[in-house]
Amino acid sequence: MEHKYRKSIVALVAVILLLTFQAVFGWVDAWAADASGAVASTGAEGGALNGLKSFWSFTGFANFDISNLVMIIVGLFFIFLAIKYDYEPLLLVPIGTGILLGNIPFVEGYNIGIYEEGSVMSYLYFGVKQGIYPPLIFLGIGAMTDFSSLISNPKLMLLGAAAQLGIFATFLGASAMGFTPQEAGAIGIIGGADGPTAIFLSAMLAPHLMGAIAIAAYSYMALVPVIQPPIIRLLIPKKERAIKMKPPRAVSKVEKILFPIIGLLLTLFIAPSALPLLGMLFFGNILKESGVTERLADTSRNALINIITILLGVTVGASTQANVFLTVDSLKIFGLGALSFMVATAGGLIFARVMNLFLKGNNKINPMIGASGVSAVPDSARVVQQEGLKYDTSNHLLMHAMAPNVSGVIGSAVGAGILLSFLM
Amino acid sequence: MTILEVNTQTWTITLVGWSVVFFALVVLIFVFNNVPKLLKMNFKKDKSKTEQELQTIITDNKYISGDETAAIAMAIHMFFEEQHDEESNVITIKRIQKRYSPWSSKIYGMRNFPN
Repeated sequence: MEHKYRKSIVALVAVILLLTFQAVFGWVDAWAADASGAVASTGAEGGALNGLKSFWSFTGFANFDISNLVMIIVGLFFIFLAIKYDYEPLLLVPIGTGILLGNIPFVEGYNIGIYEEGSVMSYLYFGVKQGIYPPLIFLGIGAMTDFSSLISNPKLMLLGAAAQLGIFATFLGASAMGFTPQEAGAIGIIGGADGPTAIFLSAMLAPHLMGAIAIAAYSYMALVPVIQPPIIRLLIPKKERAIKMKPPRAVSKVEKILFPIIGLLLTLFIAPSALPLLGMLFFGNILKESGVTERLADTSRNALINIITILLGVTVGASTQANVFLTVDSLKIFGLGALSFMVATAGGLIFARVMNLFLKGNNKINPMIGASGVSAVPDSARVVQQEGLKYDTSNHLLMHAMAPNVSGVIGSAVGAGILLSFLM
Repeated sequence: MTILEVNTQTWTITLVGWSVVFFALVVLIFVFNNVPKLLKMNFKKDKSKTEQELQTIITDNKYISGDETAAIAMAIHMFFEEQHDEESNVITIKRIQKRYSPWSSKIYGMRNFPN
């Protein structure tokens, strides 16, 4: 009995749906014809067939282009890298998904795409375009960074400065390849190995290249464990890779509080254009180290940075709409980006070896920590730690490597500020 | 004038830019090399006995070997990630109170021989 009833209910629903389709597609017809002229017939009399045609014209399949497929494959590859190999999953999953979102084909003019004024995605993208998200990310980084390894051994800051060679060498390279000074500056910052700084600077100097620059910066940051070890092995002899460093001295609370305050004042007086980035970085660190604003520090390093990472990742990913992204310039940017990462790593490593010429006894540093002068925190420090353990299982370099790593963040932000003041 | 097909202005930005990055960080190095000395100077004036004792304890225990640091870091990491040994997560012993029943009483389960 029950089965019989079920059958008749299904039949009834099917009839109702057919009738509704007829009415609805008539209405969609009118809308589509009015807006895009995709379907010729108008009015409710258009019927189901025209409705279906109109529906088809709005689907992604009808507007599909091979370039969209290429970008969708790139997005899927990012998600695969993040899940399978654990390469910066917090960045690559949102960016990869963003690439999928940005490359769904659609009919323009209905406030769907990220580049269409008034669309939801364009509102979310506003924070990237205007450089709002990067300083907020820096606030979170400041609130989670412990500068004590840097304070205990300040000379390691030089490695952070040396690795910024990547920025300026790429700036030169990009200029030689015919990019304008502004574009070259924005491309050069990829060598800073700092995603938020790259987005901030490209938003200011070359907004049209931002998608490519951001994707290049973040993908190379994720590939630090692949890019850096061969360069380390190439430039540092085996004997030097096993150097053990003196343990860092204990740092007092007063020193930890003074560091962000003095750092903020000094660096911003030298490069005021880096104010949004460095100001927020040191502000975050003051929240952490003061010890009296734990709630604010906690929000900055957890909830806030997570929200901003989601928004930043997904919108940067979505900004790679195939028709805007797949250009020869993007390919050049990817090439220059890879080169800048290698130059930056090499700069830090060579400078560390030079420093060793002037250091004596147990003050000598393990030159491998020069590689963490690029500011991919904490990935490059982790790479150095793993490389160190390969040659001596009791040689833990992580804490030592964190010093050039965090000074790399400061260095790349200062570098961005300088480029900004020269090129704006 | 162009060198390597890059004009002099670009070279200027490159050299000045990198030097300024170095300069900013060298200033920080200079300051932070001297901050501990400055702080020590202030403390010398009104250092109470207890503080002195504390200071000696801190300096005594200053050295932590790399292995110890790694062990502490691992322990903290495992604590925060709650990755302790694989357990069932049931760590309480449930006490079950049974009401008295003659069926579970030992005395009734034994044969009573007459004296």
